Amino acid sequence: MTRTPLRPLARILEARQKGENPDAIERENRRLRHEEIRDRLRLRAEGRLLVLAVMFVCAYGVVGARMGVLSASEPKEPRAQMTGASIVATRADITDRHGRILATNMSTHSLYAHPQQMVDPLRAAQELAAIFPDIDAEKLGARFTNPKTKFLWVKKKLSPEQLQAVHDIGEPGLLFGPREMRLYPNGALAAHVLGGASFGDEGVHAAEVIGTAGIEKYFDAEMRDPARQGVPLTLSLDLTIQAATEEVLDAGMKLLNAKGAASVLMDIYTGEVIAIASLPDFDPNDRPRVPIAGEKASDSPLFNRAVQGLYELGSTFKIFTAAQALQLGLVHPQTVIDTSPPYEVLGFKVGEFQGKNYGKLSVENVIVQSSNRGTAKLVMAIGRGRQKDFYENLGMFAPSSLEIVEARNAKPLIPERWTDLSAVTISYGHGISVSPLHLAAGYAMIGNGGHVVQPTLLKQDGPRMGDKLLRDDVAEQARTMLRHVVSAKKGTASFAEVPGYRVGGKTGTAEKPKERGGGYHKDKVIATFAALFPTDEPRYALVVMLDEPVETSGSTPRRTAGWTAVPVAAEMITRIAPLLDLRPDYDTGQVKTLTTASD
Amino acid sequence: MTYLEYNVKTVPTGWRKILHLNWPLVVLLATVAGVGFLMLYSVAGGSFSPWAEPQIKRFGLGLVLMFVVAMVPIYFWRNMALVAYVGSLGLLVLVEFFGAVGMGAQRWIDLGFMRLQPSEVMKIAMVMLLAAYYDRLPLSRTSRPLWVLVPILIILLPTGLVLTQPDLGTAILLMTAGGLMMFLAGVHWLYFATVLSAACGGIWAVFQSRGTEWQLLEDYQFRRIDTFLDPSSDPLGAGYHITQAKIAMGSGGWTGRGFMQGTQSRLNFLPEKHTDFIFNTLAEEFGFVGGVSLLALYVLILLFCIVAAVQNRDRFSSLLILGVGLTFFLFFAVNMSMVMGLAPVVGVPLPMVSYGGSAMLVLMLAFGMVQSAHIHRPRQA
Repeated sequence: MTRTPLRPLARILEARQKGENPDAIERENRRLRHEEIRDRLRLRAEGRLLVLAVMFVCAYGVVGARMGVLSASEPKEPRAQMTGASIVATRADITDRHGRILATNMSTHSLYAHPQQMVDPLRAAQELAAIFPDIDAEKLGARFTNPKTKFLWVKKKLSPEQLQAVHDIGEPGLLFGPREMRLYPNGALAAHVLGGASFGDEGVHAAEVIGTAGIEKYFDAEMRDPARQGVPLTLSLDLTIQAATEEVLDAGMKLLNAKGAASVLMDIYTGEVIAIASLPDFDPNDRPRVPIAGEKASDSPLFNRAVQGLYELGSTFKIFTAAQALQLGLVHPQTVIDTSPPYEVLGFKVGEFQGKNYGKLSVENVIVQSSNRGTAKLVMAIGRGRQKDFYENLGMFAPSSLEIVEARNAKPLIPERWTDLSAVTISYGHGISVSPLHLAAGYAMIGNGGHVVQPTLLKQDGPRMGDKLLRDDVAEQARTMLRHVVSAKKGTASFAEVPGYRVGGKTGTAEKPKERGGGYHKDKVIATFAALFPTDEPRYALVVMLDEPVETSGSTPRRTAGWTAVPVAAEMITRIAPLLDLRPDYDTGQVKTLTTASD
Repeated sequence: MTYLEYNVKTVPTGWRKILHLNWPLVVLLATVAGVGFLMLYSVAGGSFSPWAEPQIKRFGLGLVLMFVVAMVPIYFWRNMALVAYVGSLGLLVLVEFFGAVGMGAQRWIDLGFMRLQPSEVMKIAMVMLLAAYYDRLPLSRTSRPLWVLVPILIILLPTGLVLTQPDLGTAILLMTAGGLMMFLAGVHWLYFATVLSAACGGIWAVFQSRGTEWQLLEDYQFRRIDTFLDPSSDPLGAGYHITQAKIAMGSGGWTGRGFMQGTQSRLNFLPEKHTDFIFNTLAEEFGFVGGVSLLALYVLILLFCIVAAVQNRDRFSSLLILGVGLTFFLFFAVNMSMVMGLAPVVGVPLPMVSYGGSAMLVLMLAFGMVQSAHIHRPRQA
């Protein structure tokens, strides 16, 4: 680029000759140069502005054209508004082992209001009060007419009839949202297993259903997982058997004036819980409130006595002591033990029920007649260390693995220091508190030949057996003893004879410890009967427990398990054994003498 | 040539300044705001509450603010540019830590009587600072790399902060407005060509990054792009806005359904009907004719801004007027494209019409400065 010099020599000289100031020439040139620069920049700025203007025109043109296109388009049917984030509300069903529904979902509607869109809020409030008796027309009207209220819930669940009635009001400010709710069609049946569900995140268009207790809470995430695609959760429970157990247990509890009852029926090979009941119960469709401070949690119907309840289960534990002594080769079922008083351990006099004296008994009769001193002597031979290990291996020290959230907190109560005295009391079921479910698992171990089983609520494909604690012959001997408890004349559970089914079991009557410490109640017991059936080829373990029963048909009130828990268990087995496909075997001997017509 | 070199005597003083306001611009702004009141009245179902009344009050306040700002000589505002920018930047940082969270993003500071969105203030403060910068910078240095870097920093700093809120719409507006200011100031076109090609590469990279570990956008932002490209893919979810908005415009037809007769907006089919999507209410009730009329009003506002800028021989004034006009135009263009399905839904209000406090007040303040620049423009002696 060639620049014109500010002081061109020729012009300067010429100016000097004329006597003019040459600086004027420089000023003039400088001004011209500045103007040139400014003009160039101005040109550029205007060019830039022109480019921008073209952009503006284009933008406006596009917007205008688009407006025209849209205006010319045919409006399609407007769709309902759906701005809220959709909440996955499809929860898997829960079924029993045969696929029968225990918990499912039902579509209902919720009712909410946008008062500012209402035509006649007061009339709407009155009409709503006519449909829902629990609504107060004046209060609702006041809320509808409050200018600050933009949204309010009226009802969370509507029946189809109510939905139609509200719809017929014709008020545009009353709106419905779809809402899935959890339904337990069998009411209180298996209430403690199912637990219950409630709403989590609630939106207008959907509400999240979340489990609040029981298996609903334990498998909450799994059941809500959309990837599950509605595959139901199949439990090990059998609906029919569960119903029969609950019915018998409820009748027995009322007849025997007990304040509570529990029962557990378990498959001894798989650990599957076929029926588990705790009374009093509740309806999971309408869960009672959680006990508040000052109320005893164990008195609430929500309390699961079969799993959460930890009790000293008394003489039912004696069979474990006997079995271990047999396993260690210390005794034989016919080994004779002197059970006559006095017998002291660490200064503690071991007494018998009602101060009886059984004299000399075989080990088998120690179980059949339930001698405390007999088992105490056995455990002293076993030694407290080996006894402790045995119970620990049996799973009596840890919360059970049952798939309901309540099971996690039910850790058995065991002595801090396992002294000889603890060993003696534990040998006949005192000083250790476990749940009826733990006891059922322990009896299952005896029934299946000595394998530890893990209780489960999920249907299993085959046997799931753990460590073997007893030899086959020892388990067999233990089962024979249990059978004799029922069948022998002097047995404590003679009421458990069920025609057609051979039942073996052991009773336990434990006095309840006083709440504030200091000994035991004389007139409050936990009566338990733990059974295996049929004993010739055991399949199931059953535990029936009654809380504070009393049988009043005799001259003096009777509380022992033989008079309370045993008859209830016998009735239960009578009802459920055919349902379990067990073939009755009437071993009356008549078959041998039957004569044929041609004889 | 800057303001101080002019013959001061020709610039009006005292109350005479009012006569020298750019009155057509005032009238146009008031008309657009009036359209807004009408629509807010209509979407509330024929009621001044809850939207129209506060909006009218705020416009009144904004008008007063505009006049006050207009009375102050423009050199004062030029001198305030840096202060305004630093202050807004401070507020943006503040909102990062103490801001209220609304609609999933952290955007505003609650002042008690109103909610202040620092990003709104920043739009104007950035325009001011860029105009002041190019006013001071000798023309010969405009395209030197070092002196190009400074305005780039001025633009990127607030953009980054706004992006973290996260508010993609405002971030894009800031970037575009800043870039166009630089373009107008005369930065060499090669810079813009480079940036544009880099941006195209960047967009390509964003799409490539999807689903990988170094994903550059949030999932919801990708979904918005998806539904923009194909709204029918999710008609009840994220595509709902666009679908319903288009239906509203289609049902308006050429002359509209009539005032307060819009079914889409009144029956709640249209989301955000009083803020971002207010134009659809207008289009439904007044049809294509109504929509084009509003468009014409916006064209006129921009036109008056450009004329005022060309008339003004003070570099700061001229750049400021163009910058404010640009910001206004960008708001309008992005919002319009969004509600008519030409751009993804990014949440930008329709200037002066949409319900909203800080956006309107800030715009009125900006137009106050435009007026000040117009009143105090240098006159030929």
